[in-house]
Amino acid sequence: MAFLIRSVTRTADGREIVRETRVDRDTLGVGRAAENDLSLPDLAVDPEHAVITTRDGRRISVTAMGLAFGIDGRSVKKIDVDSAKGAELAFGGHRVTVSRAGDDVVLAVRRVDAVSDAEEEREEASAFSLRGKLPGKRLTAWLLVFAVLLGFLALPVWSFFQPGPKTIYQAQAEHSWSSGPLSAAHHQLEGNCEACHKEAFVSVRDETCRTCHKDVHDHASPERIGKARAEPGAWGRFLQGVASSFNKPGPGACVDCHTEHEGADRMPATAQAFCTDCHATLNQRLADTRLPNAGDFGISHPQFRPVVGDIRVSMDAHPRQDNGLKFPHALHLNNKGGVARMAQTLQGRFPFGDALGCKDCHAPSGDGARFRPVEMETSCGMCHSLAYDRVGGTVRTLRHGDAAAAIADLRAYYAGASRPRPVEMGGGRRRPGAYAQAQVYSVYFGSAGQRGADSAIRNLFSQSGACAECHTVIPPSGNATWSVVPVRQPARYLLHGWFDHAAHKTETCASCHKAGTSGNATDLLLPGIETCRTCHGGEGAKAKVPSGCAMCHSYHSAEGAPWQPRRNIRRTTQTGAAASARRN
Amino acid sequence: MAAPLKDRDLDRRGRVREAVLHEGFLRHRSFRWLKIATFLSLAAVAGYFLADVKPRPNGGSWYGYMLGTIGVALILWLTLLGVRKRWMTRGRWSLKAWTSAHVYLGLSLIVIGTLHTGFQLGWNVHTLAWALMMLVILSGMWGIAVYATLPAALSNNREEMTQTQMLEALRAVDRQLHDAAQPLAAGEAALVRKSLAQNPFEGGIFRRLSGRYPGCATAKALRRIAGNEKVDSLLTRKLAMLARVRRHLQLKAMLEVWLYVHIPATFALIAALTAHITSVFFYW
Repeated sequence: MAFLIRSVTRTADGREIVRETRVDRDTLGVGRAAENDLSLPDLAVDPEHAVITTRDGRRISVTAMGLAFGIDGRSVKKIDVDSAKGAELAFGGHRVTVSRAGDDVVLAVRRVDAVSDAEEEREEASAFSLRGKLPGKRLTAWLLVFAVLLGFLALPVWSFFQPGPKTIYQAQAEHSWSSGPLSAAHHQLEGNCEACHKEAFVSVRDETCRTCHKDVHDHASPERIGKARAEPGAWGRFLQGVASSFNKPGPGACVDCHTEHEGADRMPATAQAFCTDCHATLNQRLADTRLPNAGDFGISHPQFRPVVGDIRVSMDAHPRQDNGLKFPHALHLNNKGGVARMAQTLQGRFPFGDALGCKDCHAPSGDGARFRPVEMETSCGMCHSLAYDRVGGTVRTLRHGDAAAAIADLRAYYAGASRPRPVEMGGGRRRPGAYAQAQVYSVYFGSAGQRGADSAIRNLFSQSGACAECHTVIPPSGNATWSVVPVRQPARYLLHGWFDHAAHKTETCASCHKAGTSGNATDLLLPGIETCRTCHGGEGAKAKVPSGCAMCHSYHSAEGAPWQPRRNIRRTTQTGAAASARRN
Repeated sequence: MAAPLKDRDLDRRGRVREAVLHEGFLRHRSFRWLKIATFLSLAAVAGYFLADVKPRPNGGSWYGYMLGTIGVALILWLTLLGVRKRWMTRGRWSLKAWTSAHVYLGLSLIVIGTLHTGFQLGWNVHTLAWALMMLVILSGMWGIAVYATLPAALSNNREEMTQTQMLEALRAVDRQLHDAAQPLAAGEAALVRKSLAQNPFEGGIFRRLSGRYPGCATAKALRRIAGNEKVDSLLTRKLAMLARVRRHLQLKAMLEVWLYVHIPATFALIAALTAHITSVFFYW
């Protein structure tokens, strides 16, 4: 018997070439070394890998020299093979098939692995590209499309149609549609889109706003507003046409002025144009209106028309108002005269400066917007005493504001048996301080006090008496006795515009109110529009304080401050202050 | 349809001038589309400042809707390049003209889309659409940048070799290496075998883009095997060939990778736009 080594190779075009070598020996070396009978040019094979010996002409024995080898898929170091039954031995990338032909043991050798990886067949175009290195473009595109449509379209729509209170997930799904946070006032509606967006594809309607805002005043009747609105130009008509073809409400709908989703702060102030669309040329459409046309504050706003008495009078007409007092501001604010002297004398008792100031009599109201009425007892009474008697340490004072009570007090005083003369009575000059509160002010009574009650009363109400010094006195007629014309101190003159004194703290009183030169109590010391315009201009003006209509006026005709974000005012004031600081 | 060539496009012998044939899509018709796109962007910016929208610029103002409409029309048209490019023609609407318009009008979307937002960005579907649009544009800009710079590097690296030739060269070196390594001892033979067995195209996207292969079996074999001149010189040749192939792969990866962002992000953008527009009219 002998070994028949049959080596099978393949040509490039796939044809098989078989070469046979007959080895007439009992032992056969297997390895990479060229000296072996079965030489395998394979780097995975040891130079001397194994030895094959015949046992009985039919069976062979394969023994590894070092590394193991494979037989029918298993890895072994030594094996006996019946050549008649056959087997496949594996050495590295070679396979040796054992079989029998006649008396010979046939060892068919073939290489199954490529010499190198580069040798292996591969699709060249894809090997050099990124195919397989990244998820495919088409697959990624479809996955992303699916994810976006599911997360940002299907889920919010599904959530919209869910009845009842929403889970946090449903709210979150809808929230991805919100174009921005709601204003502070509507914050609690965040995530509750259906509160305002009642129906799909229908924009927010006025009725929806009114479900909460039940007591909002209308600006005027809808017919009148409709008539007052300026006819838009071609472009405006085009925009309106587009808006109405997309089923937008308006013009004049709540959402025209009140825009939402603009940030989690106060709602932005309504733009000037929303007012001037009607008011700039109002008389052209509403012939019967009593309102003058009003446009940009800096350019085309009418003069202020305060309520004087019961009618509105333009400041240009220099209105005068008899408020019942004879109070000359100039005299009291003069920093040289007797009033200033008295203020200096009383500095220890009252917070006076070297002369009287506005604040000595005028105290702001609680909100700082306006001023409290001046009270005689606390303001005028600091200097103007109504004392008529002193009993021990107690000074007795006539009742202010009640003529009858004052008369009664004096009569009671003289009805007493033998009244000593009021202590302070008598002639001679006095120091200014002696006129003050808690001093018996005998000037008013003078020698009349010695002639009895009637004389003292007449003297009190006479032109040179205590009352008439400040008030208009009505003498007795018929059954009526002495009386005093009531004093009127209106708290507010501009009933349709809002003015906040607190917002003008940086200014002095005199920069707007010309009190220092007012010699007559009938002077109306309100500033005109030109005074305001030194700082305020229209909405888009370069003035220190650009001011839209909404800074002073409320569309919904309420008494209080107009709806307007305070933040804007403060910011413009700061930038104004910063700008003037730079200029300095 | 081929556009008629003008006289200035032909040389004295009546042949088409090379400069005309080789004018890239960026320079197409003396930057016609760059000019158009610049005009469009400047007009959008001017309109943004001139338009009287209250209370503030916003995607929901008339100007915002206008920019949005222009933007979505542009995006859909730009997407059509994917259809158009499979259908090559010359002339007025040549693929080159179309690509030139695609690039410059795409860039003008940065202005149009961003002005449409009114700079009101947030965590919502609207900003998602804007962000995806910016991602598409930025990846496109990367694509333009690599198309403008890398082909020269790619060509220098190839030195006239085709990809098939590169692969064939590797195979030839491998076969020689295999033969030359036969006398080596088991340990060294294993090193060579690892070099032969290593796939030159292995590694993920980051390996491709970085061009660094620290686990290179050929480099390792070269370091370890000393004394066999033939094997050493073959390993050196193989390493040089691998370096060229890897540089080629790196450059090709850089040329291709942006499309893996550009195209899926475009489709995601169209989906996000669908959701964006639906949401606007749904909550009208």
